Amino acid sequence: MSRLLAVAANTFRETVRERVLYNLVFFAILMTLSGLLLGQLSIRQDEKILKDIGLAAMDLFGVLIAVFMGTGLVSKEIERRSLYPLLAKPLTRGEFFLGKFAGLAFTLLVNLAVMTAGLYLTLLATGRRPDPGLLAAIYPILLGLLLVVAFAMLFSTVTSSAMAAVLTVGVAVAGRFTDVVRNMREVAPGTPPWLSEALYSLLPNFRNFDFKDRVAYGDAVGGDVLVWVTAYAVAWIGVVLGLGLASFRSRDFQ
Amino acid sequence: MSEPLALVTTGLSKSYRTGHIIQGRRPALQDLDLEVRTGEIFGYVGPNGSGKTTTLKLLTGLLKPDRGDARVLGEPLASRAWRFRAGYLPEHPYLYDYLTAAEYLDYAGRLFGLAASVRRERTRSLLALVGLERSADLPLRRFSKGMVQRAGLAQALVNDPELVILDEPMSGLDPIGRRLVRDIILGLRKAGKTVFFSTHILSDAEALCDRVAVLRAGRLLKVGALGDLLRIDVEHMEIFVSGVAPDAPGLGAMRRERVGDRLRIEVEERELGRAVAAVEAAGGRVLSVQPVRQTLEDYFFREMGAATGGAAAWGEG
Repeated sequence: MSRLLAVAANTFRETVRERVLYNLVFFAILMTLSGLLLGQLSIRQDEKILKDIGLAAMDLFGVLIAVFMGTGLVSKEIERRSLYPLLAKPLTRGEFFLGKFAGLAFTLLVNLAVMTAGLYLTLLATGRRPDPGLLAAIYPILLGLLLVVAFAMLFSTVTSSAMAAVLTVGVAVAGRFTDVVRNMREVAPGTPPWLSEALYSLLPNFRNFDFKDRVAYGDAVGGDVLVWVTAYAVAWIGVVLGLGLASFRSRDFQ
Repeated sequence: MSEPLALVTTGLSKSYRTGHIIQGRRPALQDLDLEVRTGEIFGYVGPNGSGKTTTLKLLTGLLKPDRGDARVLGEPLASRAWRFRAGYLPEHPYLYDYLTAAEYLDYAGRLFGLAASVRRERTRSLLALVGLERSADLPLRRFSKGMVQRAGLAQALVNDPELVILDEPMSGLDPIGRRLVRDIILGLRKAGKTVFFSTHILSDAEALCDRVAVLRAGRLLKVGALGDLLRIDVEHMEIFVSGVAPDAPGLGAMRRERVGDRLRIEVEERELGRAVAAVEAAGGRVLSVQPVRQTLEDYFFREMGAATGGAAAWGEG
């Protein structure tokens, strides 16, 4: 466990020393602040717009960080051969792989915390009540980001970082339109039913992590819903990380 | 009683997949049987592509063998226990360039479960050992290739290992760095450690090794002490003289060639007295006399050069 934590701590250090992280966080905060301008253009919707844009910024830039850093976590190590001296030490491949995941998960948590603080400060600065209900939308965003990282790591064990990024973005986008996938026969009648069902089953439904609208309108999200979403995320992350780990364990480093 | 063994391989074999559509397999290492004794410096030599790095990657778990087995420090290859007692430097190491040298060594120490105070002390002493104490807080991205190589060697020693496995440890080093690494390797033997290192630079193997294994095309060609592999008897005498013309009488059939304003003469050991007398008789002066023995390079070229063009394959790598 101490070795896994050592890898996680080092991965966190690696990610916080990446300049791209700060660029993305900067743009996320900029996007949140842009909600102030857009809010002024609307009639009595300014608070909702501010929340909408703030949560959307967290989601969008969180996914970008998860994809670009997640795909590099393992594939760059393989391409640059920086994992060679580490795997010769008493560090199992499982500890290395899961430590990498834990390190980036912590980075995403810190990022979301910073962006959340930015959103609350913006609300406070404009004389609005800092709504704790926002956290019920932010927590599922974090779960969705962790699932994106799991996919990024799975793909990066079998292909280059560039291809892994393309595939991860594909899953993250398609996962938000799983209903379209399921009903694709309506727009493409020739599609075999088994194909649409198979695609639907193979993709996680990222809509399950999306409570932005509900929260922005001030609707409460029940604790039982959050428990279900957590279980859904844990199950998917477990399966995807398990596949990634199996692939990482079985490969040769030529 | 037999000597304790640090490393034993039995029939260790590995092949790589080739081709995309029609797949085949290219053997990289075939049936390697090798024994490395505790406390010796063991050189693993061969031209590029002979299977040296493949062997080291099999031993360190980066590759999985097709067949065969190994025991390292008395433990099965798959065991984690021996990894606490071994160190490894890969060929052309890439160390995290966002860390400083001191941070990297500290991280390496954490992977061995070393206490913070031990890590601090090891980091300080190892960076001093490899001549990087003044660069301890410099990011590795600012290191030259030779400095990275030396930092790589330091990380291989962070756990005070009993067995050190080094893949081309002199690669990318300038003469001062090479001397430093040579001294470190000799120091490790003095401290009772076992060093198993691969190289294609034969002079390094010759200067350091108690025994060497010669590898060719994935097969073990020969293992033994240098004295057993090489003809250690004097092959001939080499005399440098001045003030003598190449066609001076008395030199007879002795092989000779002009080197600048000097003359180099090769003679059999028993002919040495006659050659010196002939030079003096011709009014010349003997500058130096030295016995010439076979080198590992001579051995290597003799064993594989003629048959396979191996000499041509012996490039830098």
